[in-house]
Amino acid sequence: MDYFYHILIICLIYSIFAQSLNLELGFTGLYNFGHIAFFGIGAYTSALLSLNGVPIPLAVVGAITLAGIAGALLAIPTLRLSGDYFGIATLVFAEMIHLIFLNERDITRGPMGLPNIPRPDWIGSGISSLPLFLAVTFFAATITFILLRRITNSPYGRSLKVIREDEFVAQALGKNTSLIKTKAIVVGSVLAGLAGVIWAHYITYISPADFTLQETILVLLCVVLGGKGTHPGPVVGAFVIIFFAEFIRFIPIPSEYVRFVAPLQGMVYGFILVIMMLKRPQGLISESRKFATTNA
Amino acid sequence: MTSYYAQLLVNGIIAGSIYAMFAVGLAMVYGVFKFINFSHGELITWGAYLTWMFSSSPFSLPVYISVVPALLITVGIGLAQDRFVYRPLRQSNPIAILIASIGLSYMLRNGIRLCWGSDLQTFDLPLSTGILLSGIYITKIQILMVLSALLFFSILYFLLTCTLLGKSLRAVSDNIELSAIMGINMTKVTWTIWVLASVFAGTGGILLALDTSLDPMMGMNSLIKAFAAVLLGGAGNVWGALIGGLFIGIAENISVAFISPDYKDFISYGLIFLLLLFKPRGFFGIAGGVR
Amino acid sequence: MLKIENVSKSFGALIAVNDVSFNLGDTGISGLIGPNGSGKTTLFHLITGFYKLDTGNIHFLDQRINGLPPHIISRKGIVRTFQQTRVLPFLSSLDNLITAAPNQLGENLLPLFFQPSKVALQETQNCEKAESILETLGLLKLKDSPAGDLSYGQQKLLEIGRVLMADPKLIILDEPTAGINPTLIRHLVTILENLRDQSIKIFLIEHNMPLVTELCDKIFVMDSGSLIFSGTPSEVQNNSRVIEAYLGRMADAADA
Repeated sequence: MDYFYHILIICLIYSIFAQSLNLELGFTGLYNFGHIAFFGIGAYTSALLSLNGVPIPLAVVGAITLAGIAGALLAIPTLRLSGDYFGIATLVFAEMIHLIFLNERDITRGPMGLPNIPRPDWIGSGISSLPLFLAVTFFAATITFILLRRITNSPYGRSLKVIREDEFVAQALGKNTSLIKTKAIVVGSVLAGLAGVIWAHYITYISPADFTLQETILVLLCVVLGGKGTHPGPVVGAFVIIFFAEFIRFIPIPSEYVRFVAPLQGMVYGFILVIMMLKRPQGLISESRKFATTNA
Repeated sequence: MTSYYAQLLVNGIIAGSIYAMFAVGLAMVYGVFKFINFSHGELITWGAYLTWMFSSSPFSLPVYISVVPALLITVGIGLAQDRFVYRPLRQSNPIAILIASIGLSYMLRNGIRLCWGSDLQTFDLPLSTGILLSGIYITKIQILMVLSALLFFSILYFLLTCTLLGKSLRAVSDNIELSAIMGINMTKVTWTIWVLASVFAGTGGILLALDTSLDPMMGMNSLIKAFAAVLLGGAGNVWGALIGGLFIGIAENISVAFISPDYKDFISYGLIFLLLLFKPRGFFGIAGGVR
Repeated sequence: MLKIENVSKSFGALIAVNDVSFNLGDTGISGLIGPNGSGKTTLFHLITGFYKLDTGNIHFLDQRINGLPPHIISRKGIVRTFQQTRVLPFLSSLDNLITAAPNQLGENLLPLFFQPSKVALQETQNCEKAESILETLGLLKLKDSPAGDLSYGQQKLLEIGRVLMADPKLIILDEPTAGINPTLIRHLVTILENLRDQSIKIFLIEHNMPLVTELCDKIFVMDSGSLIFSGTPSEVQNNSRVIEAYLGRMADAADA
């Protein structure tokens, strides 16, 4: 049962992370391949602040604010780039953030990472805290879902899709496309930061190795598999992928084969991405072509 | 002190000649097919690991012989990428191809980990002895690296300028639709590009592994450098990639004199950023038209 | 209304628009004609801010608009269509129109949460306006279909509807009748004449000469990047230079 709680919590954290990427990738057509950077900024900021005595609620607010600011700073120069160049620029940005985590040893303790990240007293620690942590994570994931649905089922969300379909048309119709896209990246970064914050305080130990291209690929897979540009898509994708990933850890595997598990899993993920692009690029749940104008 | 900088410069040229070999294939694929091939880095890794495999037991071939089957298999991987993934996606939007190439790269990288584990490996060779030349230290392997790069780029120059195949290759990268209409054999050109990309990347990977070590991430790390070189060189341009690669190698190594070596990679990352910012539409002129 | 002064634009060695000056004045429907490659579309891109001009000035309602980004020019009242139809294929026809409504409160994030009823009200109003435009275009029964499923001609109409939704003062149309059937062309002519009666100004590029002479109050002729003539339809038809540059060449093409 405790395993089950644990798996659910990780799935929910990834569902927040995947939903935040979906706002950029699915709704706006911005291929952010460095989204892990904002997850990492959220996790590190909240961990460092709370380890240095800042009350946890303040640390959380500080962390997601910083993630949002970082998002705006990345957006302003890179949004002028066309599709695949934006992807490369964001990927490089994430690598730079990773190098900072790794090398600013005075602050981040470098590759040794940050242990003993505190949790709020009312949640506590250990196995007994799992149900309560699950409830908190579920609450955050639900808020994210509602928030993003409100944002995307609106005139703003319609503009995002117009930009995705044809940016020139959006401009010809008087849309300030850079501003609209910047807002999407800021909201996406804030929510990715939130996912990182929850993750840091749940696992209670973070290190630079947790914030690499590998996690970017994992979250990209969640969104692409579930169905980009839909509301349930990234949630479904996160549950399928993460459930599978976490579940494998609890299968008893003879110790001489253990070293094959992670690479095989990686190969399967890569394979799914390729097959999805070849056979079903829209994902498991395909986007409705009719925009919900009235039920907003 | 002068010799310190001279040493850094030489290190830069050595690194740069390898980056250039990585960058060429990336530039050619972009030039013709207009997408950024993420899995290009895995050709580097597979070339190196396969050579290592053939040179250790049970094969225990000498390294210079292991290179042959290793490169043949690497070329096979390159051609299979095109046949099974990129060709079916030729008409898709660039982002779908980009995601597929990320997936492919992840798959191949984990294939390396599956076969040979994640730990560092080294070639079981006697320690390469170096030469001290007026204060500059250089190993035999490093000399081989620079010479191979020279040889490969000379052959490429001959191929592109003096053969019919090379001419059609250049025509295709100017305008793929027009070339097909003009009766250029696209299958042949496509094959040539993937064979060249695989051989250059694989050989570069082998040399890099001989000089340093093997690890599953070596391709991915080199890919970012190669991409910076391609951006710098511009326009899917093979010679641009050569110059760009050398520039990145030298800039990175000289930077060690001024910033912490931990941030050496920042140089190429920063360069990519600056280049993208000041040439926002990209160097390949892929800007979408207003029409 | 729209005043263009000494506007030039080159791409490398090619001079696409060469020192063009004219004033649309109070003309209801103005036409821009000329052979292919004479710089008409480039001029439209310059007016709407999609290209930056090399020299010269463009004034709209006595304000200088060159140098402004396209979305600001659009908000000032110059709204355009594109040469090849650019509907948003995955959005419904209705949404294709509503998206063009100006000053949507719900395009900002905070009002979505703090003034939801105001946003909803505006959305309802825009929806009604869009439906009435679709009705005049004869597309109302297709309002829920994805725009990509419409026929080419219907997409052209939808694009014009989208422009109308934006409350334009001047509409810029790049080849509105290219590729659509004669019945739809008649329909389009009626729509454009109605707009003229509502004192919305129209500036269009068109190759269909009989249509241009029927519809336009004033015609501007471009050749090789320069403005070579302007006048009423009958003046244009009788001008030897125009006939040589444009009509003559078209006759050659027809013979060949």
